[in-house]
Amino acid sequence: MKRIAVLLVLGLIVLSLGAVVASAEAVKIGITQIVEHPALDAVRQGVIDALSAAGYVQGDNVTFLLANAQGDMGTALAIAQNFKAEGVDLVVGIATPTAQAAAQVFEGTETPIVFAAVTDPVSAGLVEDATDPSGNANITGASDLIDVGSDLAILKALSPSIKRIGMVYNPGEANSAFLTDEAVRASGPLGLTIVKAVADTSANVPMAAQSLVGRVDAIYVTTDNTVVSAIDSVLAASKEAKVPFLMADPTSIASATLATGFDYYKQGLLAGGLVLDILNGARPDEIPVAFQHDPEIHLNLDAAGQIGFTFPQAIIDKASSILFGGITWNRADSE
Amino acid sequence: MVQILIHAVEQGLLYGIAALGVFITYRILSFPDLTVDGSFVTGAAIASSLLVMGVNPLLALGVALLAGVLAGTVTGLLNTRLGITDLLAGVLSMIMLYSINLRIMGRPNISLLRTDTIIRQVEHTFSFLGGFAILGFIALVVLAIKVGLDLFFKTEIGLALRATGDNEAMITAQGVNTKTMKVAGLALSNGLVALSGALVAQYSGFADVGMGVGTIVTGLAAVIIGGSLLRSRRVVWMTTSVLVGSLIYRVAVMLALRYGYVIGFQASDLKLVTSLLVIVALVVPAFRARLERRVRAC
Repeated sequence: MKRIAVLLVLGLIVLSLGAVVASAEAVKIGITQIVEHPALDAVRQGVIDALSAAGYVQGDNVTFLLANAQGDMGTALAIAQNFKAEGVDLVVGIATPTAQAAAQVFEGTETPIVFAAVTDPVSAGLVEDATDPSGNANITGASDLIDVGSDLAILKALSPSIKRIGMVYNPGEANSAFLTDEAVRASGPLGLTIVKAVADTSANVPMAAQSLVGRVDAIYVTTDNTVVSAIDSVLAASKEAKVPFLMADPTSIASATLATGFDYYKQGLLAGGLVLDILNGARPDEIPVAFQHDPEIHLNLDAAGQIGFTFPQAIIDKASSILFGGITWNRADSE
Repeated sequence: MVQILIHAVEQGLLYGIAALGVFITYRILSFPDLTVDGSFVTGAAIASSLLVMGVNPLLALGVALLAGVLAGTVTGLLNTRLGITDLLAGVLSMIMLYSINLRIMGRPNISLLRTDTIIRQVEHTFSFLGGFAILGFIALVVLAIKVGLDLFFKTEIGLALRATGDNEAMITAQGVNTKTMKVAGLALSNGLVALSGALVAQYSGFADVGMGVGTIVTGLAAVIIGGSLLRSRRVVWMTTSVLVGSLIYRVAVMLALRYGYVIGFQASDLKLVTSLLVIVALVVPAFRARLERRVRAC
């Protein structure tokens, strides 16, 4: 029995060695992610799909090392160190802390780092300049910065009575804190006021959302991971207050009155495109940070009906999809 | 492989400082202190904010340590002066620190990627040591802290602190103010945790308000793993065991990362594999000891 076990182990070792030899010619790409999360998982899938579409097949000419820090920042660093020891040819860092850990570990090396789902790469210290890449050394990437000003303008266009906008957010999330500050900055010129409600954990989101009832004319949530995890409680509060709820993430349209922005899968495709540029010979210090353009508008007529709200025709004309009677109607399909 | 082990040891030692802090409260004082999840970040927040302002890294470390001492003192006073139970006092401090840490940093994440940190200074000054420069520096710092603690626990105050946790009634009869001792122990503990956070931030290249989550869990893991491998009542061995426990935990994470997928695990299995490795590290020595006893009995 013991001998069989030893043989089995030896067999496994030989097999894994074989696998290593077989993929010796392949490009090794390490993808590191801070935590399991639908949006971040979608980014990872987008990166992989962008590469597959260009002919990079796992196990054939590319080896993906997928790692997830499962929320632990010490592990994020260990992952980056492990990638370095594995001799990866390129690192993809998804979300701010993993990208920072990779930047720290690969500092001074030639290994390119492509970040994704980082809202503000300049204050994250990843790059010196988002538009002029010449001083950015081995780092480039895709930003998921949303246009907060345009979202507020959409809210304003919903109804002339909308003046006070309630925002539920986690001040501990770099991306979200930045976007909330942006909203405050953009609200003045539009004649709007921002009313903030703070939730430091997903468990506190319902209370924060409830605190806005009666104090605001509309609710707005940006790409805040904490709030998104408890998004239905924000919708419940908006129904109670009978005010529209705009979510800056179309994947959550079923839990909002309307949603803007872009899906994170496309953010992954965008970052994947940068990876391809680098694999085709471009240097990271030649590639400026990529921003996602053309945000879409998605409407949820079911949720709007429940608060007795009717969308103005101008907004309906611009919508790329409408959720009505539990069915999603895409403009692209009908045209 | 060697390089990756060096990194695991570096991390094990850095987080080992926080584990020593947890050891002081949990083992010495028998006070389950949850403040550490907050004070770890406080250390990182203060150090990074000061470093970005151009303050000397050593000074920044000192201020971070003092901030941790202050945090621990608050928990101690909540418990001893206001009569709030130990667990709740720690939880309250931890929650308060979340807001305070955000205030200190002014934003949730401070990047040190373009800042002159103590780690970077060591790397440049001792560049002739190559990959061992940082390890050597960290090992020296941790050794100094460990020996300092060992000596401290032999002093009169140190002994009184230990007695406070062991037998409060007895040491009160000896004329020691156990309330003061508890506050002092919590202050010392959180000072170390904050120092650990300040060093980890410089080692990682950033401070993030979420980086303290789980400090108490990994700290306790280190204390208990080490304690079951090296059983001893002597402080010298107890502090050694805490560092060994912290090293084992970080090496397990690294091994899980490096070899997990070779044997078919997914990225999402990381915490499971890490824990399984820790179980193996705990069970194997115990199993060997039993085997040896049986062999001797024959």
